[in-house]
Amino acid sequence: MTSPTIAPPELSEDELPDPPCSPHLIEELLRHLARSIKTHQLYLPNNPIYQRAIENLRAAFAPIWPHTPEIVLSITEADFRWFGRSVMHEANRSESVPWVFFKDGVRELTMMQGIEDDELVSLLGIMQRVRNAAPEEDDLLTLLWEQEFTRLKYRFVEINLDSQASFDASPEPPKERTLPIVEDIRAEEAAQPERKSGIVRMEDLDATLYFLDEKEIDYLRGEVAAEQSIDMPRNVLAILLDIFEAQDNEQVRDEICGIFESYMLNLLAGGAYGSVAYLLRETAQLIGRTAALTSVHKERLLALPTSLSDPAVLSQLLEALDQSEAIPEQAELDALFDQLRGGVLGTVLGWLKHAQKPELRTALERVAGRMASSNSAEMMKLIGSDDPSVAIEAMRRAGELKTAAAVAPLSKVLQLTNVELRLAAAQTLSEIASAGALRLLETALDDDDRDVRVAAVRALGTRGHRAALPSVEAVVQGKSVKGADLTEKMAYFEAYGALAREEGVAPLDKLLNGRNFLGRRATPEIRACAARALGIIGSGGALECLRRATGDRDPMVRSAINRAMRERT
Amino acid sequence: MTMPTAQNAGSTSFAPPSVAERGSDGFVRKIGREFLLAIYGALRTVKMYPPDNPVVQKTMQEVVRLSEEMLRNEREVELRVSGEFIFINTTRLRLDLENYASFSRIIGAFKDAGVGLCRIREGSAVRDWVVFLTLLQNAAVGDIDGRLYALGEKLAAAKVMAFELGPPTNLDEELRQKAKEAAKRTYAQSVTVTKEVINSVRMGRSPNIKKIKRVVQGIVDQILNEETSLIGLTTLRDYDEYTFTHSVNVCIFSVALGRKLGLTRIQLYDLGVAALMHDIGKARVPLTILNKPSGLSEEEWRTICGHPWMGVLQLFAMRGQNDIPYRAMIVAFEHHKKTDLSGYPKHVRPRAMSIYSKVVAVADAFDAATSRRAYQNTPLSPADVLQEMRINPHRGMDQVLVKAFMSLVGHYPVGTLVVLDTFEMAIVNAVNAAPEALARPIVRLISDERGNLLFPGTIVDLNQMNDSGGYARTIIKVADPERYAIRVSDYFV
Repeated sequence: MTSPTIAPPELSEDELPDPPCSPHLIEELLRHLARSIKTHQLYLPNNPIYQRAIENLRAAFAPIWPHTPEIVLSITEADFRWFGRSVMHEANRSESVPWVFFKDGVRELTMMQGIEDDELVSLLGIMQRVRNAAPEEDDLLTLLWEQEFTRLKYRFVEINLDSQASFDASPEPPKERTLPIVEDIRAEEAAQPERKSGIVRMEDLDATLYFLDEKEIDYLRGEVAAEQSIDMPRNVLAILLDIFEAQDNEQVRDEICGIFESYMLNLLAGGAYGSVAYLLRETAQLIGRTAALTSVHKERLLALPTSLSDPAVLSQLLEALDQSEAIPEQAELDALFDQLRGGVLGTVLGWLKHAQKPELRTALERVAGRMASSNSAEMMKLIGSDDPSVAIEAMRRAGELKTAAAVAPLSKVLQLTNVELRLAAAQTLSEIASAGALRLLETALDDDDRDVRVAAVRALGTRGHRAALPSVEAVVQGKSVKGADLTEKMAYFEAYGALAREEGVAPLDKLLNGRNFLGRRATPEIRACAARALGIIGSGGALECLRRATGDRDPMVRSAINRAMRERT
Repeated sequence: MTMPTAQNAGSTSFAPPSVAERGSDGFVRKIGREFLLAIYGALRTVKMYPPDNPVVQKTMQEVVRLSEEMLRNEREVELRVSGEFIFINTTRLRLDLENYASFSRIIGAFKDAGVGLCRIREGSAVRDWVVFLTLLQNAAVGDIDGRLYALGEKLAAAKVMAFELGPPTNLDEELRQKAKEAAKRTYAQSVTVTKEVINSVRMGRSPNIKKIKRVVQGIVDQILNEETSLIGLTTLRDYDEYTFTHSVNVCIFSVALGRKLGLTRIQLYDLGVAALMHDIGKARVPLTILNKPSGLSEEEWRTICGHPWMGVLQLFAMRGQNDIPYRAMIVAFEHHKKTDLSGYPKHVRPRAMSIYSKVVAVADAFDAATSRRAYQNTPLSPADVLQEMRINPHRGMDQVLVKAFMSLVGHYPVGTLVVLDTFEMAIVNAVNAAPEALARPIVRLISDERGNLLFPGTIVDLNQMNDSGGYARTIIKVADPERYAIRVSDYFV
């Protein structure tokens, strides 16, 4: 019911009371108010447009206060009226500020001096909330009530409540009569002189008994403070779980399963990830210990983590996380993902490259690491994922965890045409560095891609995998190396130095200081690489070779020699 | 404050709804509390240090600053002490655990000096306050008027003209009448809404949550502004409407007790919603069981005992999209638990009982035991119920809360029918403001010494002395209204 207030009789301009200042000032103020309400909806507080709008609104109060300490606006469906004059008219309800107040019952609004300091922004926030509110959400009156303004007052009609509500009291006063009280007391005294119920004893009248001492006041303060720190969602979940366990009635359990299903979404939407984790953990335990659990209920409970683990659902969750203002605590995220199904790892890994927020990416990296370590089978599977980004992230985790079991799926990756994947596989094998991994890496020396070969040979050299020496030596001493770029050459020679050790001194010396049968020396790049390899060997013989070459005329070679000798000394 | 400023024309279907006002006294409440705390500090410093001590000067400057600020906004500042309440202009300031000491000290100082009202004029200076607060604490002896007169003389002699003093007065009758009318409307609306909600649930419809919120807001405002009228209405323990009036009564008692605990307005609101909804689970209990007058079978008893957990499920069914009444759910579940967590329903997971649940448990137990309902033909007297709650640990009430509750409702809660040593009968109308007089409430005499019924009767303070220095009247007995066919609520409505 939106009953209109009784309209005041229309007065002519002459009959209206004199306002304390020009109505134009109030009109201007209300224009700024309407503009600020829109701005509040559209922009964040740190936006310059928002800040300017608020400044303008605040400034619009300034010329009014010297004339009056308060602005009293009466409200009709389409107007704000001030001293009987319309100071804002807006017939279009979707645009109308007066209508927002009027529809919820506010009929008069008084803004007092000082409202512009702190309370104005709160009012704008309320206006925004109430404009966007669904019908079942709080109306303007409730929001104003909760805010407890000190510089804003309002008069309203109660639309929701029955203003006719009254008592069913006796319409007539009690009839005149005489109560037999005197007789009753005498009879009581005669029958039982000792105390009866209701008769007062002086020891009961110790009033001080009922005043709280400091300790009791502290106790109550503590209780009130503790109340504010209760984790409400978790508390209520515990209640629901308790009811589920205690009540074996099927309908009751049906109802609670339904609550869990919808409430879990509410909790996720509200960012209460820890509570969702609690729900999933507790339901998992409950399934194990609850007597007479029907298969239907068991399936519904089991479906809770399963449904959340669905890639589409989980992607929404991750997207919401990426868009939320604050990232939940790592422990909450860990607890939640611990409860999800193994298949979730793929979704999380796939999301890592999409995450906009570095903090979220870091948090998800940790989550992924935890999940991968507790579910290596899933990780193995994901190494072969069709989604390259998932496969690469899975390989990264396998490398970090040095998962030897990953060698088999990695061998398949090395056969793929996608160079990025083969490179990641090589790097992962390098990190795993098991015998099997290094054996597999040897095959990567023949890879078509230079980066893969470089990664492989560096890894083999660094890990000292001597079994690879023949392959490396063949390249170093063969012709194929000549066509490689300096980086690849250098990688091979460094690996050769690391693997061949003393055996490599003579061949390297030949490359650095020797000449071929035509009397030609090796190219400067090869000589520089040989010098680097000798430096890595670092034995007396190797240093002697380097010393002999110090007079090389090529600056690149000299530089390599100097560096090699410097690093050894 | 929800004082009505316009009333229905009382006519037919198109009467405009009543108009209420809110938000007007927030400023006075806020700054008034600061003002009283400043006066409290000033009272202490003038007692400890000489007037020109910097500490005294600083505290007085704060008092002056705050009084000036109030004068600027309110145009007048009148500090009035009435019973246990302090008013600034027409706004009653809230008493809670945080400001209890300061309020008590100021009320005591005013009373000792025979001052009930102090109007502060513009331009009060530090010296004025130093003189006034010093003299206030060195009141003359003698009757109230004499003490007030002596204080006025001394102020005049010291050329302090910044204060206009007056004797203690009761609440302005018009204001009290307005508050009473507002209380009646709030109570009636609350019962109506509770009835609608419970009936909606029974019929499988969605109840209107907005209405629940609105009535609780009304109750909170009422308790914060003038609780006596509303607490008086809890005597309306109507048999036919028990389920509904009980919920409203528990809400009123809980909010009033919460106020004593120093809960904020929003916290009181949460508590009020929880209290109003504490028995919502009963809407799922068949009426045949709920209203069964004779002994219940084991199965029926088990069904009734299920109402706390049924309440939780019901509240879930009623919840809005983004608005889950967590506290109401917790209270619905825990309100029949004892402080050691025994009681019903049983819980599996470890939990700590919420203070809100403890508050509602006390209010619930009190109202239930003092009401007449299907399986309780003879309600217990409020005094006996309080006694039982206090001395019987098996009831499982939080004893500190019981104590706080007793200080709220007094030895003889509002609505108790009592017999006086004059053989007059009376109904307790309000708790006595004097802390030492909990057993001496304000009562309404409803029969003379010969037993002749009076209506509406007269209000008397049982703390009043007679000429010979003894108490004029003393309660000797609590009586059963049924025995004398007295409908207590007739004297409150």
